[in-house]
Amino acid sequence: MITEIAPAAGPVVTEPARPGKKRRAWDEVPRWQIYLPLGIYLLFTLIPFYWILLFALRPAGSTSLVPWPVTFEHFHKVWTERSFATYFTNSVYVGVSTLVLTTVVALAGGYALARFDFRLKRGFMLALLCSQFVPGALLLVPLFQIFAKLQMINSLGSVVIAETVFQLPLSMILISGFIRNVPYSLEEAAWVDGCGRLTAFRIVVLPLLRPGLIAVGSFAFVHAWNHFLFALMFLSDQSKQTIPVGLNTLMSADSVDLGALAAGGIIAAVPVVIVFAFIQKWLITGFSAGAVKG
Amino acid sequence: MKSSIRRSRRAAVAVALGSVLALTATACGDDGSGSAGGKGGEGSGKGTITFWDNNGGVRTDVWKEIIADFEKQNPGIKVTYVGVPAASVQSKYDTAIQGGGLPDVGGVGTAMLAEIAAQGALEPLDSRLAKSSLNGKLNEKFLESVKSAGGDGETYSVPTSANNGTLWYRTDLFSAVKLAPPTTWTNFYTAAGKLTDRAKNRFGYTIRGGEGSIAQALDAMYGQSGITSFWNGDKTTVNDPKNVTALEKYTGLYKKDTPSADVNNDFTKMVAQWDSGTIGMLSHNLGSYADHEKALSGKFRGIPNPTLDDGTRVQVSNPVDGLGLFKSGKNKAAAWKFIEFAASHASNSKWNESAGQVPANDEAAQDAWVRASEPTKLAAEALSGATTKIVQLPYYLPDWNTVSKAGNEPNFQKVLLGKMTAKEFLDTLADQLNKAQADWKKNH
Repeated sequence: MITEIAPAAGPVVTEPARPGKKRRAWDEVPRWQIYLPLGIYLLFTLIPFYWILLFALRPAGSTSLVPWPVTFEHFHKVWTERSFATYFTNSVYVGVSTLVLTTVVALAGGYALARFDFRLKRGFMLALLCSQFVPGALLLVPLFQIFAKLQMINSLGSVVIAETVFQLPLSMILISGFIRNVPYSLEEAAWVDGCGRLTAFRIVVLPLLRPGLIAVGSFAFVHAWNHFLFALMFLSDQSKQTIPVGLNTLMSADSVDLGALAAGGIIAAVPVVIVFAFIQKWLITGFSAGAVKG
Repeated sequence: MKSSIRRSRRAAVAVALGSVLALTATACGDDGSGSAGGKGGEGSGKGTITFWDNNGGVRTDVWKEIIADFEKQNPGIKVTYVGVPAASVQSKYDTAIQGGGLPDVGGVGTAMLAEIAAQGALEPLDSRLAKSSLNGKLNEKFLESVKSAGGDGETYSVPTSANNGTLWYRTDLFSAVKLAPPTTWTNFYTAAGKLTDRAKNRFGYTIRGGEGSIAQALDAMYGQSGITSFWNGDKTTVNDPKNVTALEKYTGLYKKDTPSADVNNDFTKMVAQWDSGTIGMLSHNLGSYADHEKALSGKFRGIPNPTLDDGTRVQVSNPVDGLGLFKSGKNKAAAWKFIEFAASHASNSKWNESAGQVPANDEAAQDAWVRASEPTKLAAEALSGATTKIVQLPYYLPDWNTVSKAGNEPNFQKVLLGKMTAKEFLDTLADQLNKAQADWKKNH
């Protein structure tokens, strides 16, 4: 019989009770001393976003500081004339494929790192960490040659593989941290109940890793979504290019259509914002649970 | 049990090692296809060729039209268009030169010609040009620029267009205070002062202090000093005392008659600021014409750089854009046909009308649209005018891009901020240029 274990939502961070005196002191802080700095910070952060919205929504040639009358001509232009519909689809393909591939492989690698002792394990971990110091640009030529030999140039698969390879080291380290936090005894209990290693992992460990998987997956997705270099180098056909490359094509050597660029920027940002809005709870829990523990 | 684990470990290690070796072997191997070392071939004159547009995106539509026209006229040839963003085209070429995958034809401006030609990636075109229908129909000055930029006396690209430094000014603001057009440097400085009203956030000029600042500063400097050559023997003239004085006067405009944020101006910020504000003058090139037309239609003019009081105009050479034939191409006959077609009267006219630039094809330069577009017409006249002296910048130096960009742009910002003198800046620049020239001479 398998003991059912309720999925944990990650470690519960309980705020230590503040002594009464301190709480009163906190409560006595005038609200403006909290909200004013926060407001200034928010203003500082949001003004550039407002500026992008302004350029995207006001008509070409307008110098108004408010986007009125509102126009969607720039969005229409980039979506239809500048092929952003195609770039968007390609970016979704690259982002989701990288997410899935990175998470699956990192899960397997992370499990091995967390649960098995093998020769040169420390060296392997060190190599994983060191690989983070190698910039992607340094590996462009060898990667290009490998993909050319594999007939994968101008295929979205090449970008997915390159992105996954660069995401894996950090993802594996993070996932191994999450897995270490799951008591080994839970898996052992599942084995005693007749599960194999894989079934025990799927039924017992995997549900507990949800925050970690979401953190790693979203990190992989956002990185692949925003990354420019591999898409630029490995893809040639316009029908294969991704959003970051598309955004760059809106800036010519001596002329920039700022309205189109702003609209393109918003189209590029929306999926990332939506992803973060949905997963922020899991993301914070995930990173705090796994990132700092080895 | 233990031995089976050991066996499976060994097998795993062997598989991993084998994979690494296989991948390494494939990575190191090179069949020469499409890399700089590839010899390529003439081919049958039919089939598919690849064309890289070095300013992809904005010019995509007009190129697709030209390609469609070409394919209609040459049914046996198909052109695959690849638009590469202008800011990344150099790295895309460099990667392809090292790793393979070069196109058959590519857009190559004089600013990057030396670097690509030096890596042996481009085919010399002199003999093809001599036998071509383009012979005698391309602007001689543009051809000279291209030949000079190649670095070894060979022509590595067929010129298609030239840009030109343009002084854009607000006719409405000039009329309001009854100022003479800034056709001379004297008028320019007078207008810059009179149009400035810092209290009302109005400025006479916007200076380029960020990315791309050096070429613009050189243009203003030589334009005022009247020095007509970049070299005096093997030494550069950039730090000539007349140039030092000119640069001091020009950078003296910063904060006095320009916004203080100009220290970080690249062309994007500078153009956006001019199009949306109340700034009197802007030095850029013909490329921003469409942006000004959208924002300030009927309220601006674009003229070539100001002249000296005696009417002499001195300006630095602007990059000439062109099409290169890559050595590694396996279908050079078809690729050359495409280059000839793109540089022919009709296509060249179509492309330049769309880009607002000066056509390299002499017949295209006579077309009605050139006469109707004042900035282009004036630029074309300035480029071929007898009173215009062009200081040829050393695009042929492999180090030119570094020296004229990242290497010295921070120093130019220091000059604007008063942390470095114009003389110190120009002396540093001169040292680097003299060294680069000496290195180049050793190899040529």
